[in-house]
Amino acid sequence: MKNLVKSLLVSASIAFAAGSASAEAPKSVTIGYLNLVNAQLVTKSLGLVQKEMPGVEIKYIKVGGGGDMLRAIAADQIDFGGLGNPPTAIGVTRGLPIQGIMVLNMLDYVEAMAVRTSAGIKSWKDLKGKTLAAPFGSTTHYLLLKALADEGIDPASMKILDLRPNDIAVSWARGDIDAAWFWEPNLNKAVKDGGHIFMTSGIMASRGYPTWDVGVVMNRFAEKYPDYVEKFIAAECKGIDFWLNNPGETAKIIAKELELSLEDATRMMKGTEMVPCPKQLTAQYMGTSKKNGQFIDTLLSTASFLVEQERLPKLLSRAEFEAFLKPEYLEKTLSE
Amino acid sequence: MPEPKAADPEMPDVTPPPRAKRRVVEPAQILARLRSRYVAISCGSVFLMMVAWVFVTETGIANELFLPGPEAIYKSFMKVAFRGYQGATLLEHVGVSLYRILAGFGLACLVGIPLGIAMGVSRSANAFFEPFIEFYRPLPPLGLYTLLVMWLGIGEESKLALLFLAGLPGVIIATIQAVRGIDMVYLRAAKALGATTSQLIWHVYLPAAGPTILTGMRISLGFTYTVLVAAEIVAATAGIGWMIWDAAKFLLSDVVIMGLIVLGLTGVVLDGIMRLIGRILMPWTRVRRT
Repeated sequence: MKNLVKSLLVSASIAFAAGSASAEAPKSVTIGYLNLVNAQLVTKSLGLVQKEMPGVEIKYIKVGGGGDMLRAIAADQIDFGGLGNPPTAIGVTRGLPIQGIMVLNMLDYVEAMAVRTSAGIKSWKDLKGKTLAAPFGSTTHYLLLKALADEGIDPASMKILDLRPNDIAVSWARGDIDAAWFWEPNLNKAVKDGGHIFMTSGIMASRGYPTWDVGVVMNRFAEKYPDYVEKFIAAECKGIDFWLNNPGETAKIIAKELELSLEDATRMMKGTEMVPCPKQLTAQYMGTSKKNGQFIDTLLSTASFLVEQERLPKLLSRAEFEAFLKPEYLEKTLSE
Repeated sequence: MPEPKAADPEMPDVTPPPRAKRRVVEPAQILARLRSRYVAISCGSVFLMMVAWVFVTETGIANELFLPGPEAIYKSFMKVAFRGYQGATLLEHVGVSLYRILAGFGLACLVGIPLGIAMGVSRSANAFFEPFIEFYRPLPPLGLYTLLVMWLGIGEESKLALLFLAGLPGVIIATIQAVRGIDMVYLRAAKALGATTSQLIWHVYLPAAGPTILTGMRISLGFTYTVLVAAEIVAATAGIGWMIWDAAKFLLSDVVIMGLIVLGLTGVVLDGIMRLIGRILMPWTRVRRT
């Protein structure tokens, strides 16, 4: 009911805002950031968004995963957020009022499949009859099923469980599961506890299945304050540059933000690829407003996979996904 | 609670309407009349809710993402019932969950009722067990569950344990109350007539405490239901609670709402069955149960 009332109020306020000038500043900006290792932590820690938006109250909300981020967006609790490609495909298909504005990070070996060494898993075929875990609906669940499909192995020939990363860590320690595709910081615990890396998300990317997180903005915010979308992007770009130019300083920031050891933070940083903002406008990533890049292909392939899985009711057209991705803001930010 | 005294068996437990003054109306008749009136009110309120639901969805006041219309819910019901959701049909999901609920709840009753009787009869037994029950009772099920998963693993055991622990305190507390509320006259009379301890338990404690225990069991069943989704979040691949949880991640609100309705209906049916069993086993409570 609260959501109902809220969405009513929001649609009313959008109707109001459409008439007024767009030059005014928002009172506050709420940024939902994912609990993972990327330059958003640098931007947050250095207060870069605040520097771009003087006088505006900046609020940061830590969001556990893609599913929670979708709920935060649906409930209209954030202005900016971040989503992996499966949640993005879900949100766009379900008609959430969001647009994609920049690449937050590309996932490399920060997400990987760990197998228990004693389980004797040498090839994909050895997984038959074994117990695996992955958080359903996440990038890694998507990659696991994609990899199995490519190898021609029926997922029904093994037991695939839906576990959250911390539950994976617990059941790994108990010996309940033989393999799991998930992410840091728990991933390293599994590797240290009698496991090794069998496959990484980075290798899957080189096989044509990239996974990434994209920065999104709520439509109502973008319509009312387009300048502030550019300011947000400018701040995040500075964070990305800082990450690329000062790895040592960045590791200290990540370690502090996520309460990790410096060694862990450094390793996780290497497993995440940050894309400099000008490069984000190339065909490998978002592309330009005139010609969209590979992100659209990834979104389409992710969505059609989720439709096959009967987790999405319908497959949107390419044009509908193109309407979601808006490199325009980044183009403007960079031209200024 | 003791039964009403034999002297006033005609005493109706509801105040009869003034019209009835002239003639003595059978209590059963009044009950039937009142009951049909209350049933009508209940039907009316459900009907009003349906009208409001159709209204807000048809006029577009409600966002379809949050509240799909009855038609969408019906469609998802038919789809899940016949084609299934993620590898199991609705019947299988409900079956798995009902098995978990009934097993957990059944265990709670098997342990809780004897324990409750012991704690009600003996102050020492009460003092021994009470700290543990009072301590874990208010703990949030998800917090408890994390520990259960560590101890018992991600299989059926931890799920059943959580459901069992959710159901247990209600049964125990109601049973203690029921046993303590027994009229001492019954006990003295039975003892004076030479009843053994087992006769006391089977023929005095259980029949006299039965109705209160049953009420406690019904409340407990409700508590068991409240932790079902929590119990099925971790590593389940079937079950109505898991279906709701999984569908929510993909924003399939039609499946979520449909699942909740089905879950609610199974609860109503189970409660009805328990009341029926109560009436058959404890016919003396029938008149007072209004």
